[in-house]
Amino acid sequence: MQGGSSGIGYGLKYQARCISDVKADTDYTSFLTGTLSLKEENEVHLLRLSSGGSELICEGLFSHPNEIWDLASCPFDQRIFSTVFSTGESFGAAIWQIPELYGQLSSPQLERVASLDAHVGKINCVLWWPSGRCDKLISMAEQNIFLWNLDCSKKSAEVLSKDSAGMLHSLSGGAWNPHDVNAVAASGESSVQFWDLRTMKKVNSIEHAHVRGLDYNPKREHILITAEDESGIHVWDLRKAKVPVQELPGHTHWTWAVKCNPEYDGLILSAGTDSAVNLWYASASSSDDKLSESPVESIRQRVNPLLNSYTDYEDSVYGLAWSSREPWVFASLSYDGRVVIESVKPFLPRI
Amino acid sequence: MATEAAPMDEKAKRMRDLLSSFYAPDPSISTSGSSINASFDNINSTSFDADQYMDLMIKKSNLEVLLQRHVQMAAEIKNLDTDLQMLVYENYNKFISATDTIKRMKSNIFGMEGNMDQLLQKIMSVQSRSDGVNTSLFEKREHIEKLHRTRNLLRKVQFIYDLPARLQKCIKSETYGDAVRFYIGAMPILKVYGDTSFQDCRRASEEAIEIIIKNLQTKLFSDSESIQARAEAAVLLKQLDVPVDSLKDKLLEKLEQSLDGLQIKAKEASLLAEHNDSSNDAESSDQLPAKIHEDAVRGFSEAMRAYREIFPDSEERLFKLARALAAMHFENMELYIRKRVSAADFLRIFRIIWEDVVLMDEVLPEAELSDLSAEAAQVTVKQFVAKTFSHLQQDISDTILKFDINQKEAVEEEVLKVVLEASKKAGLQGITDIFQDFRQLLDENTGIFVKMKDLIIGWIQNGFQDFFRSLEAQFLVLSGKTSSSNDTEGGLVEGKSSEKIHAGLILVLAQLSVFIEQKVIPRVTEEIAASFSGGNSQAFENGPAFIPGELCRVFHAASEKLLQHYIDTRTQKISVLLRKRFKTPNWVKHKEPREVHMFVDMFLHELEEIGKEVKQVLPQGTFRKHKRTDSNGSNTTTSSRSNTLHNDKMTRSNSQRARSQLFETHLAKLFKQKVEIFTKVEFTQESVVTTTVKLCLKSLQEYVRLQTFNRSGFQQIQLDIQFLKAPLKETVEDEAAIDFLLDEVIVAASERCLDVIPLEPPILDKLIQAKLAKSKEHNNNNTVSS
Repeated sequence: MQGGSSGIGYGLKYQARCISDVKADTDYTSFLTGTLSLKEENEVHLLRLSSGGSELICEGLFSHPNEIWDLASCPFDQRIFSTVFSTGESFGAAIWQIPELYGQLSSPQLERVASLDAHVGKINCVLWWPSGRCDKLISMAEQNIFLWNLDCSKKSAEVLSKDSAGMLHSLSGGAWNPHDVNAVAASGESSVQFWDLRTMKKVNSIEHAHVRGLDYNPKREHILITAEDESGIHVWDLRKAKVPVQELPGHTHWTWAVKCNPEYDGLILSAGTDSAVNLWYASASSSDDKLSESPVESIRQRVNPLLNSYTDYEDSVYGLAWSSREPWVFASLSYDGRVVIESVKPFLPRI
Repeated sequence: MATEAAPMDEKAKRMRDLLSSFYAPDPSISTSGSSINASFDNINSTSFDADQYMDLMIKKSNLEVLLQRHVQMAAEIKNLDTDLQMLVYENYNKFISATDTIKRMKSNIFGMEGNMDQLLQKIMSVQSRSDGVNTSLFEKREHIEKLHRTRNLLRKVQFIYDLPARLQKCIKSETYGDAVRFYIGAMPILKVYGDTSFQDCRRASEEAIEIIIKNLQTKLFSDSESIQARAEAAVLLKQLDVPVDSLKDKLLEKLEQSLDGLQIKAKEASLLAEHNDSSNDAESSDQLPAKIHEDAVRGFSEAMRAYREIFPDSEERLFKLARALAAMHFENMELYIRKRVSAADFLRIFRIIWEDVVLMDEVLPEAELSDLSAEAAQVTVKQFVAKTFSHLQQDISDTILKFDINQKEAVEEEVLKVVLEASKKAGLQGITDIFQDFRQLLDENTGIFVKMKDLIIGWIQNGFQDFFRSLEAQFLVLSGKTSSSNDTEGGLVEGKSSEKIHAGLILVLAQLSVFIEQKVIPRVTEEIAASFSGGNSQAFENGPAFIPGELCRVFHAASEKLLQHYIDTRTQKISVLLRKRFKTPNWVKHKEPREVHMFVDMFLHELEEIGKEVKQVLPQGTFRKHKRTDSNGSNTTTSSRSNTLHNDKMTRSNSQRARSQLFETHLAKLFKQKVEIFTKVEFTQESVVTTTVKLCLKSLQEYVRLQTFNRSGFQQIQLDIQFLKAPLKETVEDEAAIDFLLDEVIVAASERCLDVIPLEPPILDKLIQAKLAKSKEHNNNNTVSS
């Protein structure tokens, strides 16, 4: 199942880890990506898929002061995004605004809207309010979690509440529940933890080690998907979180990121350090009515959930994003700075 | 008529014809026979026309003939005349004699009247006289009759008075039949006069009857009596109006109680089987239990037969009993086979039970026992087959787990090998035994087995299919790799967390799966083809029977899964090690490297352990040499080139900017073929170790990529990796890939380094030598101390 050359490629100058779908852009399918270079001047690229879908055009190139470890586009303003960056010795997070583009100005400066600088430890990610216009943000560091209120006009952000995860749990990433805006999941060293934002207290956890990435199923409440180092991908039903609902084999090496398709239920994308992106179909039916498992169904379950494996990468793939505008399109970013846009349209009939 | 007439003389015939023409008004009837031939020229015919005849004659004949004819005719006419005369004469004579007779009769009739009157008178007188006699004798006769009646009455009274004595006599002689007859005969009188005249008599006879009833009952209950006698007793009791139903109930209850005695309890069953067993080689006296049981059942069936004759209306009850017996037998059988039972024992017991059933069936064919027990037998045999399989599975997993416990005590010994061999043996032996058992089942000639043969074959095939499937599932459970499919066993699975499961066990299971796929399943397939094939259309309808192809696939997948799982658990362990290594220090503020970090030791130790386990369980790669030269040949050259490139780059990068370095890395990558890091794992020692090392190095690279290093940090990594190079190459099959990965780690570190200045090779060497010396010393110490 060679991925082939169906994808549209785009090369960044330096190594890179993160790519984000620009959700607020309703006219074009566009992505934001930032480079990760310790010694060079880092860049943020705004990429746009041409209307024919055959080309990836760089719409904007902005220099960014530090290497970018995480990048997230604001869901309601296409010009605003957040980054988590590192100077090599310390970490920081900030909200940026893309300046109005007058002509083809190369490397214009980004406007810093706000700095999320209340953290001490290593910041991992910034999460935007999952949908709609809301100025709330979450930033996660290894030891603690902050809820911010962002005021774009005043160019300031203030901490609304915070909680410590405890010394033992060093958090590595998180996801905001799209079905319940008060719930946030964070992956830690040995467990996945859940916060209730109203009380800013931990409410629940799944004891499951070495989770790299996690994502809520936007189509189905209570379903969370996690990606782990060695043991692949697990689908959880949060109502009975003792045992995973489903297990996908994942990648040959670590499974780094996992993303649910925003439109097609059960379509899962995973990126791995074995230089591959895998497209899965986790049939939702098997998770719901497991009790009425007829022989026919069990046979169906045995059908390989792997729809396709895109292997046309030179290095580990860390960045992964579905387009929300064209939900059959996804962007992947391998460590060597190559962005590849692929369409999963050929596999949709098999769902 | 013509034929009849032939023997008659001509004359008589004519006479008769004439007579008949005279008497009969329609001569055509009588002469019909002769007139058949007649035509109009037949003179005797009624339709004879003389003129026509004449014409014909004249026309046809000449004169001579005519003359002849004339003479002949004249003679005939004359004859006829005389005949007629004679006829008239004879009849006339008769007529005359008749008139004479009539005349005589008329004269004789006179005087008869007078005689008649006389006769009447005489008869009248006789009657009057007889009346006289009758009246004169009447009184006497009346008297005689009265006397006679009295005598009868007296005789009856006498009989009643004698009744007790008679009954006693009957009791003595045991002729209860007569006694009952007497008593019943006397019953009406006793009923009417019992309270008055015959009080004593009645009491006595009732006492006697009481005794009789008692005797009869004992007779009925006593098993020693013949059935006939008991049946008679029952009939007599019934005649005596003794409530037989309660008796019947009692008897049947007794029968039911005796049913308990017939139970083949599980314990007894084994005893039975054992005794039978030993009887084969020891004295036949040991056969006792079976014999006893047989006798008991025989007795039971006899009793059944008897009761059936005695109480024909209690059939239902007996049916129920017989069914209960069969059901009980099969229930006990089920209990019995719940324990481990060999097919021989099973068959022995089964045979006994079946004999019982046949016996019962003979006695009570209407009870449909054979159908009922055939069903039960099917269920039992099916259960037996299933049980056999589950026992085998239990055996195999027991073997695996038994050694696992020992393993903790003696890690150094080649326990894994022992476990593997033992489980292999257990598996093969189990399969062989199972086939032997099943062959016995099939060879069994008991009627029911012959009927069930196809079914049994179906069950066996199905059984194998299920057995292998569940064995695979169990392997997965044992390995701790519980897929989400068996959530039902959640509790059980949760108890065994994956950490508790020894990685070696997983490896053993993987290899065992291969063994099953390659050896056991083909063997089973052969056996099935040889002795258990055909005639299972029914089984096929119900579901798929034994499908070796599918099972092979399943086990192949399982073996791969398990091997992968083994590698996963192993790498996981190392991964934890690496994670700790990279999480703990502050790499940006790392101090100058003094020595090779100890995580390397731990890493190598883990690898060593893997090597040890793998060596015990997996075969050596046979094509090792060949492979290396063939498939990796090009890689080795390229990688060595890249190595030199890389080294060059390293030396140069002292003075160069990192940017060009990155560029060069990319360039180097371009030249290099994409080294296949993640190849398919094979079931060889080298392949597994190589894969593990590759995965670990890749993890190492990823961990490195997540950090930022200062110069010293980078140098530390460089040192560690350099140290790893030699020992890793020794253990590993695919040197090119390892080289590549090790380089990748260093490249990754240099990319994440703020200030890339590698250690000088002499210093590197020195540190490595120091480490080697130290580890050697350590080893020596260890050996000395131990």
